[in-house]
Amino acid sequence: MASVPHERDLLDELGRGDAGARAESWRYSKTALRALSQQDFVAADAQAELPAALLAQFDWPQTRGRRVVLVNGTLSERYSDMAGIGASITAGVSADNVYPIRIDGDVGAPVHVVHASVPSAQASRWRASAEVTIASGRACIIEQHLAAEGAAVFGSLQRRYELAAGTQLDLISLCELPESAALYRLIEARVGAKATLRATHVLLGGRLQRMDLQVDLAGPEARLESRGVFALRGRDHADTQLDVRHLARDTACDIVWRGVADQRARGIFHGAITVAAGADGSDAVLSNKNLLLSPNAEIDTQPVLEIYADEVKAAHGATVGQLDERALFYLRSRGIPLAEARRMMVTAFCSEVLAGVADADLRERLAQRAQAALPTSA
Amino acid sequence: MLKIENLHVRVAGKEILKGLSLDVKAGEVHAIMGPNGAGKSTLGNVLAGREGYEVTQGSVVFEGRNLLDLEPEQRAAEGVFLAFQYPVEIPGVNNTYFLRAALNAQRKHRGEAELDSMQFLKRVREKLAVLHLKDELLHRAVNEGFSGGEKKRNEIFQMALLEPRLAILDETDSGLDIDALKMVADGVNAMRSPERAFLVVTHYQRLLDYIVPDFVHVLADGVIVESGDAGLAHKLEEHGYAWIAERHLPAGAGAGAA
Ligand SMILES: Nc1ncnc2c1ncn2[C@@H]1O[C@H](COP(=O)(O)OP(=O)(O)OP(=O)(O)O)[C@@H](O)[C@H]1O
Ligand SMILES: [Mg+2]
Repeated sequence: MASVPHERDLLDELGRGDAGARAESWRYSKTALRALSQQDFVAADAQAELPAALLAQFDWPQTRGRRVVLVNGTLSERYSDMAGIGASITAGVSADNVYPIRIDGDVGAPVHVVHASVPSAQASRWRASAEVTIASGRACIIEQHLAAEGAAVFGSLQRRYELAAGTQLDLISLCELPESAALYRLIEARVGAKATLRATHVLLGGRLQRMDLQVDLAGPEARLESRGVFALRGRDHADTQLDVRHLARDTACDIVWRGVADQRARGIFHGAITVAAGADGSDAVLSNKNLLLSPNAEIDTQPVLEIYADEVKAAHGATVGQLDERALFYLRSRGIPLAEARRMMVTAFCSEVLAGVADADLRERLAQRAQAALPTSA
Repeated sequence: MLKIENLHVRVAGKEILKGLSLDVKAGEVHAIMGPNGAGKSTLGNVLAGREGYEVTQGSVVFEGRNLLDLEPEQRAAEGVFLAFQYPVEIPGVNNTYFLRAALNAQRKHRGEAELDSMQFLKRVREKLAVLHLKDELLHRAVNEGFSGGEKKRNEIFQMALLEPRLAILDETDSGLDIDALKMVADGVNAMRSPERAFLVVTHYQRLLDYIVPDFVHVLADGVIVESGDAGLAHKLEEHGYAWIAERHLPAGAGAGAA
């Protein structure tokens, strides 16, 4: 693949266009993008072998038989295990690396979608898109992004979720990247009447993790529950951009995001909620709290609320703070070592986000990963 | 057990303790009284190792070691316990989890085997019974939403569980109802032993009717100005701190009671 000369071109190529350029006003993301756009990438190898360590990260016993694995953006017959996926789910490949997944009727156990990035000898990149349709019933998708360490890998992923009227999708997404990997995600969801999207996103590490979540609450009483957390260290960089549009009456969104940054990490949270004219009786709540564990870390948060409808209930708040020194001393005064006391408090800080994950094993797994993503030292 | 000599402590650039000396032997209960702002909590915080307290002079030796060299968690594991005047709420940290982590961290530090959850819960039940604490409080986050009295009882419960060698109780009686005061006193009395010492900070004689101290000290303006036996607390109750001030300050310099 040829090198990409300008960040603007890169954004265009990623489907961001003008909107992308506007959102890229945040200087750190701008710098990171510029660096990426100046790099030469080759196409990532779709047949790459997955290192054992990576396999172990997603081979969860409870999702065997319901696993769709993509290697560098391409569906891998070899690593996927769809034996247990019944008639209610269709997953396949269409042209241009677009993977349509259609879920029709209640699916008891979750479907596990794994995106593995494996570096080549030199910097490489991959692109993929998926379209997920929940035609009826209730579904649960666990999405996992991971990457092997090595040369830079830059993945970009576009995903569309279509929730038909009355359906529910529980989406749990864990993205763990080493410092060598970058991922650009554009997630678009359209939620129909009386349908509910419950999404939990956990973003850990990465040279650049950019995630756009654009949700249209398109039918009356459509509902979004968005939970998310990023935990960053080293020179990790995460940039989350939420854009929720209330387009119909009595729609609701409930957004709780947390951010933790240590060392020299950079995090951004941009949460925009628009209640369009006519979307009367809507309810919008956004809470974003962030924790800086080092004086060199930085998190910027920006909630934006625009209301053009009547009888709307809306509340939003955003904070950036540090660990409560008094609480830390209290824990230590009972004999808990500093590093553990800090870990306990960071875990507590993130717990509200993970509390929404009903499956206790999965919740515990996410909590452990988040904990492991942060340095243990003071 | 604890020997404090000529301790000078600055907080936020201001000298709070101005040459405090105190000698506490194993098995003893010392009560510390004194007007608001005298430096009682400062003393407790310095002993427990809180940051921001600058020791400019003097020494603190605990069981033969320089206490000031140790981190707060090391002090705890060595047997120092501070019941906070204002216990801290820690949302999201489960009380039981916290207590077990604390107990096991201390045991690990001392080279003792960690307790599994069965052993731990057995111990918790025993101690809860003594303090008549609802075990519902254990399932909540640390001190979160606890009433003032519940927080204080939780401090004593933690003390009972952790079995420190030196317990510093900073106004644990403030805000307790009459029954709770007796429970807390019973909890402390049950733990009195020849190996353990207590430093009880209080404003009220009533607590000392239940926990009869071996010594009573008056801390005023950063130093101990008067020491005596349990009778001293009664005299203070009768005469107030003005009486102490008159005895210790030259005429004209004596401030009124705080
Ligand atoms: N962080 C701080 N910054 C500034 N001044 C402080 C700080 N901590 C304590 N002080 C001051 O030190 C003095 C002693 O405070 P301390 O809390 O030790 O008093 P105390 O004897 O415990 O009083 P009380 O009986 O009211 O609890 C007070 O004048 C207080 O304002
Ligand atoms: Mg005090």
